[in-house]
Amino acid sequence: MPTHLELELEAIKSKIFEMADLAIEAISKSVESLKKSDTTLAQSVIDGDSLLDQLEITIDDECIRVLVTRQPAATHLRLVLAILKINTDLERIGDLATNIAKETVRLQGQPTLKPLIDIPRMAEIGIEMIKDALRAITEMDPVIAEKVIERDNEIDELNIQIYRELFSYMAENPKSISQALGLIMIAKVLERIGDHATNIAERAIYYVNGVDVRHSDD
Amino acid sequence: MNKIDVKNLNFYYGTNPAIRNITLSVELNTVLALIGPSGCGKSTFIRCINRMNDIIPNTRTEGDIIIDGDSITHPKYDVTSLRRRVGMVFQKSNPFPKSIFENIAYGLRINGIKNRYEIERIVEQSLKNTALWNEVKDRLNESAMGLSGGQQQRLCIARTIAVQPEIILMDEPASALDPISTQKIEELIQDLKKKYTIVIVTHNMQQAARVSDYTAFFYLGELIELDKTEAIFTNPALEMTENYVTGKFG
Repeated sequence: MPTHLELELEAIKSKIFEMADLAIEAISKSVESLKKSDTTLAQSVIDGDSLLDQLEITIDDECIRVLVTRQPAATHLRLVLAILKINTDLERIGDLATNIAKETVRLQGQPTLKPLIDIPRMAEIGIEMIKDALRAITEMDPVIAEKVIERDNEIDELNIQIYRELFSYMAENPKSISQALGLIMIAKVLERIGDHATNIAERAIYYVNGVDVRHSDD
Repeated sequence: MNKIDVKNLNFYYGTNPAIRNITLSVELNTVLALIGPSGCGKSTFIRCINRMNDIIPNTRTEGDIIIDGDSITHPKYDVTSLRRRVGMVFQKSNPFPKSIFENIAYGLRINGIKNRYEIERIVEQSLKNTALWNEVKDRLNESAMGLSGGQQQRLCIARTIAVQPEIILMDEPASALDPISTQKIEELIQDLKKKYTIVIVTHNMQQAARVSDYTAFFYLGELIELDKTEAIFTNPALEMTENYVTGKFG
């Protein structure tokens, strides 16, 4: 039978999953709004960010309460510490998705320079990484998390590729500079989302194995 | 550098083994905390270190305990000098029914210190080292029985350190005290380890986490795991330790 502490940890875990769902939805909607030049959809992402902010505060509060009142140890302690950090990563992901949505609003319904292929691909990979990093926590499987960390390279490469492509657009047609710079910024934002997903995967490994793998490839 | 080396220690009450083949070392000037459920042999183990178990009839010790290279389990080892080297603080404070001053001075006198000024100096120093001096300096000649539980326990620690032991054994020294007195004892343990090597038994896992450098988990007379305290409470190597520190059994 689970202890009271374990029930409380389950409740915090389900809140972090709820937050992850919101962050994932924000990424997918913001990129969708850019693709379809849909400012209404973009605005809904911007407005929805406050929900993520609220959850961040709630999860922090509940983690602090558990630390103070239950003094967890070993796996329980590592879960609370991991969640405290994942919480910040997810909130940052929400902010980054908002930046993409703001770019859609700035374009005011103008179509994009070219049909977007690599940017939605980056978003897809980022979303899969976040989902897998959290799956590593539910299944307590560090191998899943290790694979997430490896996938960060895919996002990084796409970012470089997009940069090069848009650079040649700008060289050929100076009128494209404003929009191209916006898209370069968005690719950079998605690259950052990949970094946050990597962080979440690293916290998952810490939770399961008790090993800190941050900066281990530096 | 190791202060204490325990090698293949077994201890029996009659034919009943209470300690099973324990081997461990305690580093000089560190605090080792022993944790584990009731009856796992923690207290029996620390009582082996100053041979307090000798006074219990029908018991038997096998294996060896070495302090600074001396085997203290040897039958010819002088137990009185051992207990001077290895002081002990118990769960229940047990001051002598004498004055505060005499509680500390007594041990000094039976250890051959006759000079009154020397005794006064050590009494004051011991009370200062246990953060008790300011609370009792104006009533040194009053009975120690009039002190609060926390003060009595600190007086017992002062009495222990007055004779300058090398090792201090503590068997649940704060379990009968309120949080403020407990905090004072814990602060004291941190200060004392600069001069002494300390082995403490505690049922309070947070206390073990707060005061010790190393933690040993005992179960059914066996040493299950010994590691740096941080490792035991964040990432123990064995599932059994994990289950104990997360409250799944015990």
